[in-house]
Amino acid sequence: MSLTPIIMPQLGESIAEATIIDLLVPQGESVTAGQDIIEVETQKATMNVTAPCDGVIDAYIVEIGESYAVGDVLGQVESDAVSAQSDQTSAPTASQATSQPKQSRQESKQPGSKQPTPAPASAESSFSVVKPTIKGLPVPAHFVGAQYMSPRMKARMYELGLREADLAGIAGSGAGGRLTIQDFEKFLTQLEQARLTQASSMRVAVADAMRRSWTRPLATVGTPVKLDPLLSHRAKLNPKPGPALFAIRALAIALSENSATAGRLIGNKIAHPASIDIGFAVEAEDGVLVPVIRNADNTSVTSMVETYNNLVNSARLRKLPANATGGSIATVTNFGTFGLTWATPIPLPEQTLVLGLGAGRKVPFWDESTSSFVPVTEAQLTLSFDHRVLDGGAAGRLLTRINELMTHPQQL
Amino acid sequence: MSITYLEAIREAQAYLLKNDPSVYIYGQDVGAFGGAFKATKNLAAEFPGRVIDAPISEDAMIGSAVGAAIEGLRPIIEVQFADFSTVGFNQMVNQAATLFWRTEVPCPITLRLPSGGTSGGGPFHSQCLESIYAHFPGLIVCTPATVEDAYSMLIESVTLDDPVVFCEHKYLYFHLKAESLPQEALPIGKARIAREGRDMTIVTYSAMVHECLEAAKEMAQDGIQIEVVDLRTVKPIDTDTIIASVARTGRLLCVAEEWPWGGVNAEVISRVVAEGFNLLDAPPQRINAKDTPVPYHPRLWSVHRPTAQSIVAASRHLLRI
Repeated sequence: MSLTPIIMPQLGESIAEATIIDLLVPQGESVTAGQDIIEVETQKATMNVTAPCDGVIDAYIVEIGESYAVGDVLGQVESDAVSAQSDQTSAPTASQATSQPKQSRQESKQPGSKQPTPAPASAESSFSVVKPTIKGLPVPAHFVGAQYMSPRMKARMYELGLREADLAGIAGSGAGGRLTIQDFEKFLTQLEQARLTQASSMRVAVADAMRRSWTRPLATVGTPVKLDPLLSHRAKLNPKPGPALFAIRALAIALSENSATAGRLIGNKIAHPASIDIGFAVEAEDGVLVPVIRNADNTSVTSMVETYNNLVNSARLRKLPANATGGSIATVTNFGTFGLTWATPIPLPEQTLVLGLGAGRKVPFWDESTSSFVPVTEAQLTLSFDHRVLDGGAAGRLLTRINELMTHPQQL
Repeated sequence: MSITYLEAIREAQAYLLKNDPSVYIYGQDVGAFGGAFKATKNLAAEFPGRVIDAPISEDAMIGSAVGAAIEGLRPIIEVQFADFSTVGFNQMVNQAATLFWRTEVPCPITLRLPSGGTSGGGPFHSQCLESIYAHFPGLIVCTPATVEDAYSMLIESVTLDDPVVFCEHKYLYFHLKAESLPQEALPIGKARIAREGRDMTIVTYSAMVHECLEAAKEMAQDGIQIEVVDLRTVKPIDTDTIIASVARTGRLLCVAEEWPWGGVNAEVISRVVAEGFNLLDAPPQRINAKDTPVPYHPRLWSVHRPTAQSIVAASRHLLRI
């Protein structure tokens, strides 16, 4: 007779613990392998813990209403050794996977006989492949081994031009959730059955830039800006700058007053920008290009118009000269042209800030002085930033200053 | 009819003595006594003057063999235990190994070293010295694991014009039997796939081949198929066969009875990592005898060198990392 522990299984992606709701089979009653014996509740759902083998419930060591971690022992099933061993081989638990290597080293220290003999049958020494508990879901991040890529895997991926991000959705069936070469080859076979079209090099380049940008913790703050002062000021100008140019200019002035907000965090140092060069997003084919207005803090909005228009045209024709892109310290994106009111843009991987301008709309605004709603033309300004470099306060102050400048267009 | 590993060695020597008049055997007690392990039993009577007793001086035995080789003979030198061969180490590595390189005169001597441990053998009757001879350019080092290889590789060793160190395993002398002697065989320098598999590769040689096959049989019960590569020759190593095997399995475990530092296992792993890095799913592992002189006491000896049990444990570990 041997006691087999009932272990809290991995109940789903990123689930760390569950609360005991009900003990479905009382102590002393017999159970079959796989039978539901404990009902538990997680953040997401209610589900059942199953018996690890045939036998009799020897004891529960949990209390109803209490929470227990994945991998905790919840009780014991008493069974005869043979059924315990054969069922242990298919019982996947985090604690079992990590205890096995220790067991193996102990085995090798025991004095062996001169003649080779088979190792004695026991539950601990039987070999089991670590399986994800819920089939099809990737093994949770805390599982040891999930990030490991062997040289053979890396070589095969390199051969095929794939990156780790491309494999993010595959569940690993190897030790500790590791992606094995077999998982990978299966994924490739399935991929071949899908309709595949060639992604343009522009698409791949943007994908890579976004992947690299996303390695940072990004946050967004937003505020509405009244466009009426800007629109009436613009009506008097010739040539007429587009709304994006006012945002570029306002951002440039605000950054010239406090360049640390556009600094880059490298290790524990902040690299300040050398000159206030502002980029702006232009949609080109199936991607985005970012031409740059140099020294935007020293150039008035009207002086920028011609440069801006040339850059937009060149970008659309994919004829931008090499020195027209790169080196900007922040970017403006005017997604209002697509009719969008707000969005959370992603800064370029080498930048800390991106300012988004939404579409202007007529909205009612509560005027305290007249105690009434008045119509104003309003657009949403959103500022996405690398949260390692600045926090909500600093981002908020920067955005407020931009807002202030945009509502006093004669300063731009 | 069954023939033991030792009898195969004897048959090979009989064959050589019969077919090549330049062959002779020189060693302690090889004559009328028939050798410490009876490897030359009755050969002195069958081939008078060709199986000669030597004084207890490996230095003299090997040194005189080099001289005989220069004069056109093909000596087989039997050292009683591999452990004693280091008394004549200088003759082997500085005289025999370099002779052709220095003088263009071949040195076709074959040094038979009864190698490896048996229970109660102790530190001077159990050593595996293949890797220290393999270290020197100019030598060929054979490590037959089967009755058939003991026969065919000894014949080929003596036929080759290079000095050969023939590491025959004492434990296999009487424990290993075969139905018959082979008509044809793999050449020296070619490894043999002793067991096919797809989950991991074990590279091994000599008596450890049998421990590894035993371990593979146990792992097969869990559905793990282990490929066992018998090196057969330790110098030169058949790198192509090893790399091809690792290409199929992605995992490598090297098993040898010798000590760990700079041995055959280290050489194999070094080559696989350098030439086949991108074939590997896990870091290559090795198991050797413990890094201590070989113990005398049977209980200590039984845990000193790899056994099927420790090979199984190492295999399970490799499949998990």
